[in-house]
Amino acid sequence: MILQHADTTSQEPLLQARAVSKHYGSVRALHEVDFEVYAGEIVALIGDNGAGKSTLAKIISGAETPDTGTLALRGASVNFESPADARKAGIETTYQDLALAPDLDVAANLFLGRELLRPGLLGTLDVLDRPAMRQSAQEHLREFGIRVTSIDQRVDTLSGGQRQSIAVARTVLWGSGIVIMDEPTAALGVAQTALVLQLVRAVSRKGTAVVFISHNLPHVFEVAHRIVVLRHGQRVGSLDPSSATMDNAVSLMTGAATTHA
Amino acid sequence: MTAQLALAQTRNPLGAVRWDLVMRLGLLAIIVALAVVFSITASGFATMQNVENNARQMAVVGILAVAETFVIITAGIDLSVGSLLGLAGIIIALGLSHGLMLPVALALVCGAGIGVGLINGSLISAASLPPFIVTLGMLGILRGLTQIFGNGQQVAYDSPSLTNFAANSTLGLPNIFLVFLAVCLVAAFVLHLTRRGRYMFAIGSNMESARRAGINVRATTLTVYAISGLLAALAGVLLTARQAQGDPNAGTGYELDAIAAAVLGGASLFGARGSIVGTFLGVVLVQIMANGLNLLNFDPQVARILEGALLILFVYLDRWRKPRLAAA
Repeated sequence: MILQHADTTSQEPLLQARAVSKHYGSVRALHEVDFEVYAGEIVALIGDNGAGKSTLAKIISGAETPDTGTLALRGASVNFESPADARKAGIETTYQDLALAPDLDVAANLFLGRELLRPGLLGTLDVLDRPAMRQSAQEHLREFGIRVTSIDQRVDTLSGGQRQSIAVARTVLWGSGIVIMDEPTAALGVAQTALVLQLVRAVSRKGTAVVFISHNLPHVFEVAHRIVVLRHGQRVGSLDPSSATMDNAVSLMTGAATTHA
Repeated sequence: MTAQLALAQTRNPLGAVRWDLVMRLGLLAIIVALAVVFSITASGFATMQNVENNARQMAVVGILAVAETFVIITAGIDLSVGSLLGLAGIIIALGLSHGLMLPVALALVCGAGIGVGLINGSLISAASLPPFIVTLGMLGILRGLTQIFGNGQQVAYDSPSLTNFAANSTLGLPNIFLVFLAVCLVAAFVLHLTRRGRYMFAIGSNMESARRAGINVRATTLTVYAISGLLAALAGVLLTARQAQGDPNAGTGYELDAIAAAVLGGASLFGARGSIVGTFLGVVLVQIMANGLNLLNFDPQVARILEGALLILFVYLDRWRKPRLAAA
């Protein structure tokens, strides 16, 4: 049950975190955690509440900086000061709390922070190219099988599942190297969940690395190539979902079993 | 511009935007109804002279209301615009009376306005202080400075080009009103058509989302308060030009009139909602109501009471919009 993923030992990780620690005041959120993800791989990050999953995700995505430890992207050391830095490096994140702008419409949200401008003089004047963005957003939603009444619909008029789909679609749309999904299937119905998992597989097939953070073990086992378990801010194991069981995972998460990965 | 903006709104068939449109049309209907009633009942209302007066009088608070619209859309507030207007008026009057060339004095005042805005914006975005507190503090600081600079008295100056500009009209419209219109057009362009404007809405909608989407929240916030400062300074210059003297008490309380006009026009203090068209209508409504009631020999306070009641009514009606789902 404890193993190295077969494909992953030979090549260099796309992203590698070494001995990353993070404290919030006196609270130890992460302690000397190693983490790596390879191109085209879906790595699930699991653990109980407070195990440090979200903190690790925030460090990889540039939303937090580690107290100690290093990050390397394609073998080169990187230092993300902000999410913008990580995005420039090709790391996109879907956050647990969605991170959409509820008052803006669907197209505006898909393009938030990456707006298209009109060509020529108008573009120089910072004028948005709304028709191009609407059309492109339409096409992408169709491609992902996401249905909304209108591309001009405000996001706060969508259902929770629709909003999650939009958030995931945005991540998939812009991630060029690594996509981090923090609880992407939380609050989703069965059909919407299937859609999201299908999206996850689709991006990994394109060579994008996916870091999939979830409480939901069935979803994790359904989609992940490799599972990394955190407990109390430490990495306590790594599982191959094709041979490990959910009981194995729960044992590691709760500390009933210990191992070294 | 107006038609284009209206089109952009009607294209969205859904909920909140449609209600926004209903509210703006309702505002327009009230303005038209008031204009008709006053034209019939108040002699002297429907005259070119009175229309010109209204246009001239609404410009100063109108420009401040545009400034507030920017700030309120980012879920902020700027209480310092009235005091900044007063300070700008005193600075230009003092500058001109001490022999500064008009362009130099104008540049000085605009620089001061932007500078105050940048200080507000820095304290809000970098030091994470609440906009209400920062700009309330600035309201006091600037009014105090204005009284000290002006020695508590009116400041006379002599600049025919400035005072004539404010007194004259072009193509039948008062120059001051044309400045207000130009401010509205540029503001509508920036807010509704540009990327920077969309970032202002995004920040007002969910600042953390905006930050995570890679939007430079600090730079955008600084820009918004700098715009507010610049517009307040411009309003101060226009008022000083219209009155042909600097008044250290000028603009006292104007910030509240400006906020009221923006909110009547559909701006939400929770952010991400508001438009220049709406704010313009809000400014016109307040002006027409005050003017008509004045011509009908009502106590001027009646207009204030009605304005306050309308403000509360509009915000109450606004809650009929499609209720927000849990914040994303």
